[in-house]
Parts: sequence; structure tokens; C-alpha cells
Amino acid sequence: MNNYPTRRGILQYGAALAALGAPGFARAQSPVRLSYWHHFASQSEQKGLRRLTEMFRARYPNISMAIETIPNAEYLTKVTASVVANSRPDTCMVAAERFADMYAMKALLDLSPEVAKWDRKADFKPSAWKGAERDGKPFGVPAYSFVNWMYYRKDFFEEAGLSGPPDTMQEFLEACIKITNPAKNRYGFGMRGGGGGHQYLMDLLIAYGSPIVVDGKAAIDRTKAIEAVRFFSDLYTKYKVVPPSAPNDSFRQIMEGFKTGQTAMIWHHTGSLAELTAALKPNQIGTTLRPKGPVLRAARVDNLYNGVSNDRNREAAWNWVSFWAEPDPSIALLEETGYFPASFKVAQDPRITGNPLYKPAIETLSFGQNAIDTPGVEAWGQNQMFPEFQKILVGSSTVEDAVDAMMRSLDKTLS
Amino acid sequence: MIVGSARERRLWNVATYAIAGFFGLTALGPIVWLVLTSLKTEADIVTAQGVVYWPSTLTLANYRELWDQTDFPTLFRNSLSATTLTVVICLVVGTLAAYALSREAFRGRQPLLMGLLAIRMFPAVMQIIPLFIIMKAIGLLDTKLGLALAYASFLLPMFIWLMKGFFDDLPGELEEAARIDGCSRLGAMWRIALPVARNGILATTVLIAISAWNEFLFALMLTTGADTRTWPVGLQLMIGDFQLPWGLLAAGGVISIIPVVVLFAFVQGSMVRGLTEGATKG
Amino acid sequence: MSAFQDSSQGQGMPRLALIADRYNPFYILGHWSDGRFWVVALLAPAVILLALIVLYPLFYGLSLSVHEMRLTRPDLGTGFVGPKHFVAMLSDDVFWLAVRNTFLWVGIACVLEVGLGMISALALNRALPGLKVIAVLVLLPWFLPKVVAGNMWALMLDPRLGVLNDILVHLGILAQYKAWFSDPATAFGTAVVIEAWCGFPFFTLLFMAGLKGIPNELYEAASIDGATPMQRFRFVTLPMLRNVMLVAVILRVISLVNSPDLLLILTQGGPGHSTLVLSLYAFETAYRGFDFGYGSALAVVMLGILMLFTFLYVRASSVGRQA
Repeated sequence: MNNYPTRRGILQYGAALAALGAPGFARAQSPVRLSYWHHFASQSEQKGLRRLTEMFRARYPNISMAIETIPNAEYLTKVTASVVANSRPDTCMVAAERFADMYAMKALLDLSPEVAKWDRKADFKPSAWKGAERDGKPFGVPAYSFVNWMYYRKDFFEEAGLSGPPDTMQEFLEACIKITNPAKNRYGFGMRGGGGGHQYLMDLLIAYGSPIVVDGKAAIDRTKAIEAVRFFSDLYTKYKVVPPSAPNDSFRQIMEGFKTGQTAMIWHHTGSLAELTAALKPNQIGTTLRPKGPVLRAARVDNLYNGVSNDRNREAAWNWVSFWAEPDPSIALLEETGYFPASFKVAQDPRITGNPLYKPAIETLSFGQNAIDTPGVEAWGQNQMFPEFQKILVGSSTVEDAVDAMMRSLDKTLS
Repeated sequence: MIVGSARERRLWNVATYAIAGFFGLTALGPIVWLVLTSLKTEADIVTAQGVVYWPSTLTLANYRELWDQTDFPTLFRNSLSATTLTVVICLVVGTLAAYALSREAFRGRQPLLMGLLAIRMFPAVMQIIPLFIIMKAIGLLDTKLGLALAYASFLLPMFIWLMKGFFDDLPGELEEAARIDGCSRLGAMWRIALPVARNGILATTVLIAISAWNEFLFALMLTTGADTRTWPVGLQLMIGDFQLPWGLLAAGGVISIIPVVVLFAFVQGSMVRGLTEGATKG
Repeated sequence: MSAFQDSSQGQGMPRLALIADRYNPFYILGHWSDGRFWVVALLAPAVILLALIVLYPLFYGLSLSVHEMRLTRPDLGTGFVGPKHFVAMLSDDVFWLAVRNTFLWVGIACVLEVGLGMISALALNRALPGLKVIAVLVLLPWFLPKVVAGNMWALMLDPRLGVLNDILVHLGILAQYKAWFSDPATAFGTAVVIEAWCGFPFFTLLFMAGLKGIPNELYEAASIDGATPMQRFRFVTLPMLRNVMLVAVILRVISLVNSPDLLLILTQGGPGHSTLVLSLYAFETAYRGFDFGYGSALAVVMLGILMLFTFLYVRASSVGRQA
């Protein structure tokens, strides 16, 4: 669990401390205690973080890390409290969809001076920086990426006589219909109709050509949004190619549905690869691009960043946040967790290009969209837009009414 | 409350056991499932075909993992000391106040009672940030005392109200008699009222001890390091974002109720019947 | 109680102290306790302690509700906005839905819990062999942390893995596994039942403690007068539990109104706001939308509703007492 460090970790720290006492290091810079907040919780994440910390410790023996794990759901609550009470940590993890909010509440510091001098700056595409940028100034260093793609059951596709995974939304729907067989409790698509599902609906709007925000103003195109929302909700209400439980299915449920063979396709990001390959056989699981909409192929590439929150240990803080972007730590994290390196230089590493399952992820990196960086839009998606969509699923609203309500609440959020 | 003929009593006894059985099953069913789940492998929990009732392989792996992954003794110790401190604060401070509110008529009694409730009425989620600011200002962040005080902020009003209820239900004649015998007010309270209200005190203490033991939000917000965290925070953190380890969660649940059950078994043993009964007779 | 006061006023100071009191270390305190400051001394620790911890957060929250505070919109400033948030609520459909849901949620859960708590306490209070063990078991749901209880129920009712679904299918009650939380028609009811499962032992415990204080002679006397068991319950048990019940209901209603824990785990207010209650709405507004002004205003409304409820409830129950 959180309680990083574990007992084993402490022993390893002990060893590192002993090394620190060795004569060669005796006159190193004065020791710094650097705090870092993150929301890694699973065992694989903990393992990855532990490896990274050990590597960091070897490089910078004078910096000791005070690492705090915070449950993801409470992360922003805790950050908010630290901002209001002026007790921010030195460094912290910043998910792309939270950047806008954390920036606006002034939880992050401008890293321009350091980044300008950094020789790895060009290892990242401008789009990788963009997720944590304001007015051209970087407020976070890319740490890793969640590349959104699709997992599918190869064996179910073969059974249904389909030659390969769908490429367009139309093909996606057809595949769903072919595979679905309620009598066998098998459905084409594991829709995330519960918590966290708003991301996919927002992707879909974009795939159908309706922007959500342009220049900080609400910009939903009603006709196209209706088309997109209708397509998505029809999967449940009209074609019934998703499990009946969809309106309350969140991450856990879609994963369990896929693992137990109830569903043939799910949309999620690269971070679940390790868990799914462990649960299913190699001839069962495939990865592919998210289906292409009528206008474009939409798949979010969510970069996660590390930011500096507090000025007091600025140099050590920079050392830590920039360390994550180096090849060896990035690959170590990938090996433990499956989280993709944010640096395209590192993505060219043979350890990544050699794995066919990763191919769609590398491709997605070239076209994927960043999270919308307008403050409040993420919360709108979660609290206001998605409940309207759920109302269509459960039959208490029509597509048109729901889209109108979404547009109204977005206007209000951004006014 | 059951008195009457032998036949009537027998009927009531049967009914009593039927009702007790129903409640026992209702309460225990999910707990049994919790225990079973904690002894299962993931494959027996997340199943493709049908529910596996009895684990195909009984395993203690979840408990072992819990032990390896968490700094379990520290978490438990922290929870225990925060809970104990909370209980002590509430018992001492709360009993006195409840007694005064029950026995004495003074101006401002009603507003005070309502004020106590109002404190409890304002949602905890809205108090977190200001509470955090205060605790930081007085240097009680990351301390057991800080946590205990935060818990007392919502448990003390509950304690006082409940205890006042119990005192109200006790006949005041006993203390009156003691006073006539020359007992001081403190003496009357200490020697008469408190022993008579013992069951109420015990029940109320159990309730607040459990609330403190299971409290999560304040514990998360007011502690920052692995070495000051409490068990519920540790438990919550085990449940990651990208997986829900059912077995681990269940094992954690089983472990968190064991100390509570032990505590309560003790308390129940010392709850006594008929104290007032004998007293009013005499 | 009134007799008690008469006697203390009439005597002022104790006429003579018991011999034993001389050796009692609390003798001085005891003597002093008959003075004027007795009540103050009893109340001061609690009042001071609470004032120190609670007053600031309370006023902070109250003042936020009349200020602008959107953390993600620093451009709006944090100025005084008067009743703006409260006015905005009037035209906020989600707010009214949440109010309605809150009333239903709290009302149904509380009635269920009091009922179950009373029946179980009456049964378990009897001095029959084996009941003591069951009395501990019955309290287990209350002992379980909410996060565990919520997730366990989610697992048992899961549309894929749920054992309760499996049992109901085997019994022929359901044709296939049901997704209880995906259908607004069942999501709310199911969540309320789970809340009641978690909460009824609170009443069981308090009622049991209260029942133990009722002298058996009262029942015997009533029985001799020819009262039926229902009448004995109505005219002996209920009046004797009145105070405990009054307090327990108020406290439970407060925590039901205020804590969104279980719904956060089970439904997050969905599907389509069908299980959104005020506490969840305030939580989401403040900590997901970062609009602390509006969130605090929602909390103030909850406070107002609770105050009104408590006032009316206390008054109704004391009217009942005089009758």
C-alpha cells in the first residue's frame, strides 16, 4: 500500500545511508529533505516508484526523499488544503486533467529558468509539454504518459469470424453487434457508464467534430454533439451491445467484465496492460488504436507531470522532477508498471519498439490529444456532463435534451 | 418486558430466538462473505463462470501481503493511541458536561444544547481546510493529540447528547436522597449517578471509540507521513486506482474489526442489569 | 428533578459531611461543588475545548457561503457576494433534486434503522442463553469501516461477481444477475437498505443500554393491570426509552445528512443524479469543482435543514410528553 517505504525499502535505504557515510561522499552538499506527493497506490506502481527513488538516491546522495502517498480520490483535496494553509510540498505529481485546476489555485511554480537550460528539453514533443504549460511557460516536467487505446479479445473476434479489430466507429459498432450474445452473457463493448466515463464521451464529441472548448469559451457544436452522444448511447439503449450494468460500471467493473470474458472490447489506457496480460492468455488479448470517428481519430494521451510546488528546495526539487524524464528511470517505471515514457527519445528504445503489443501506443502518441486545459472543464465533465449522459442510458432524458443541458452547464461553468 | 403465563413465555421465547436468529444472519452474512473473500485467491473472486462459494484453495496470502505491504504495527499503534486519547477526552470532559446539562437548570441551557448539536451539523468535509489551518498554527499537525482533538470536535457533542439522554432517563431521587444524607454534589454525582448510568456510559463509549477508530477523512488530512498515519488511511490507500484487490480489502476489513469485537466483548461483560431496579426498591 | 433542585436550594450547604468524606481526596472539591460555580465548572472544559477547535472552522464555513471562492477562477476574486449563492440555488435543478433525495434518503434509512434497532434490541435484551453472543454479532455491521462495508456490498451485488445475485437466481427470484446500481429504480432503494444495514446497530446498542435501565416491576405492575404485550411496549417501554430515542434519532439524522461516504463508493450520485444527496453535491462542488463558495452555501442549507428538523422534532416530542 501507500506506506512506502516498506520494510524492505527501509533496509535498502539503510544501505544507501551507509554508502552516504563513505569517505568519498563525506563533503557532498549539505543534506536536503525533499518532499514529494503522489497518488501511486497499486503494488506495481509502488515497486516502480521504489526503483526510481533508489536510482535517484544513488545519483544524489545528499537528497533524501520524504514521499507521501495520497489516495487518488483525495489528492486534490489534500493539495487544496495545502495551498490554502500555505504548506505545499516541495514537489508533486500532476495529472494532465488536474493541471488546469492546480495551476489556477497556484499550486505550481514556473519552471522556465530550469527548462531553458535543460539539455533534455528537446526529447519531448511540444505537445508533451503543452499539457502543463501556460503562456508558453512550463509548470511541470512530463513524467510518463497514459496512452489511450483499445483492448480486444482476439479469440472472440475469431469466433465471430472477424478478421481483425475495427478501424472506424462504424466497424466498431458492427463488430459489437456480431459479438454480442446476451444468452451467453457476452457483449461487444464494456462501456464505462459510471465514474470516470466522461473522458470517453468527451473524446467521442471530438471524434465527431464537435470541439468542447475553444479559447476558454464553450464551443460545443450541437448537431455534431447530438450525433456523437446518440452513437454512444445507442450502443446501450438501441443495439444493446454493452452489459446492462453499464450505467454504474466504472473502471473496476469494465476491467472485471473484460477479464471474465463478458466483454470483447474496452477502452482504457496503456496502464492496464500489465494487469490484463497477467489475467488473460497471449492469444486472447490484443491492443489496437481507438476507432476513428467521422471527423478524426480521438484518443487522449494523458501526460502525467511532476511539478515544483514550493521554492524552498528549488534545486533539489528540479533534480527530482527532471530525473523522471531520463531514459533509465523511465524504462524502469515502464518495466514495473507499463506506464509509457513521455519522452519520444525514450520511446524509441528497443525495449519498447520490440514489443508488438506496444505498437498502437507508439502510433497513438503521434496523433493523440491532450486533456482540455481549461480550468473547470474536467469537473464539468465529471459532475455535470456525464450525469446527463447517464440519464439517456436509463431512459430519463433524450439525447437532444441531454446535449442541451450539457451545453447550458458548460456555458455556466465558463462564464 | 415479557411476563405472563408459562405458555405465553414459551411462545415469546420462540419468537425471540427467531428474531435474534434473523438479525444474527443479516448482520453476519456479509461478514462471513468478507472472511471467505479474504481467504480466496483472485481467481476465485473474479470468476468467469458463476460464483465460487467455498474457496477452491484456502490461502492466507492476502493477510501475508497485507503484512508485507503495510507498516501494519505502526498504523495500528497510531489508531489505537488516537482512539484512546479521544475516548479519554470525551469521557472526562463529556460526562461532566452531560451531567450538568441533565441535572441543573440554568439560563442558556437550551441554546447550549442546540449549539452543541449545531457543531455536529456542519458537514465535516467543509471543516477540513480551516481545521487544517488551525492545527498547523498550533503545531498539532501530525500528532495524536491533534487527531484526538479533531475527533473530539464531532464526537464530544455526540457523547454529551447521548449521555444527557441516559442521565435524563435515570430517576433523580437517588441523588436527592444522597444529598439529604449530606453528600456533596460532586459526591452524589460520583458515587450515585455515574455508577447507575454505567451502561449508558459504556454504550456511548463504544460508539465513539468505534467512530474514532474508523475515522478516515480527518486522519488523512491531518497527518502527512507514513509514521503518523492511522489504519483506515492505510486501508484506503491499499485500494489502488487501477485495481481493486478484493482479497486484500477483505483481509483488511477482517483485521480492522477484530480489536473492536474484542473490546466490545469486554464491555458487554461489564454491562449490568437492574442497577436502578435494586436502587429504587431500597 | 425539580425535587432535587428544591432540596439543593433549600439547604444551600450540606449540614454535615459524612465521616468518610474527610478521607476523600475530593473532599475539598466536593465542598466547593456546592458553591455557585458548580455548573460552570462542569461545563467549562467541554465548552472551552469545543470553542477552540470548532468555532473557527464553523465561522470560516459560514463566511465562505457569502463570499466568492472558486479556486480555479482566481480572476473572480474572493469578494463578498451576499446571498448570491443562495439565490443561485433557487434556480439550480440539481440542488432541488438533491434536497428531495436527501429527505427520502434520511427518512427511509432512519425509519428502517429505528425499527430494526428496536426489534433487535427487544429480542436481544432478554435473558436467554445464547443471546449475548448474537448481541455482539449484530453490532458487527457498525464496527466495519464504511470503505470495507461499501465495497463488500458492491461485490456481493455486483452484476458479474455478486453472490447475492447468484443466490437470488438460484432461488428463482431473479432470472439473471441484476445490476442494482445501474437502474435508477433500484439504485436508490438498494443503497438505502445498505445504509440501514450499516446503521441499525447504532440503535440496537443504545436501545439495549436503555432497556437495561427499565425496572422489571413496571412490567409486572402493568401485567397485573391486564396490559397486553403491545400495551406494555406502548406504555412502559417506549416512554422509558423516550430520551435515548430522541437523542439517538437526532444524532443519526445528522450523520445521515452529512456523510456521503457510502454513496461515494456505491454510486457516486448516479446514474444520472438519481442518488445524489446534498452532502454529495456539496462535496463534489467544493472538491471536484473547487467552488468553495457555493459548496459552503450548500453546507449552510444542510445546517439550516438540520436545525429546523431538530427544533421541530424536539418540540413535537416534548408536546407528546405533556399529553
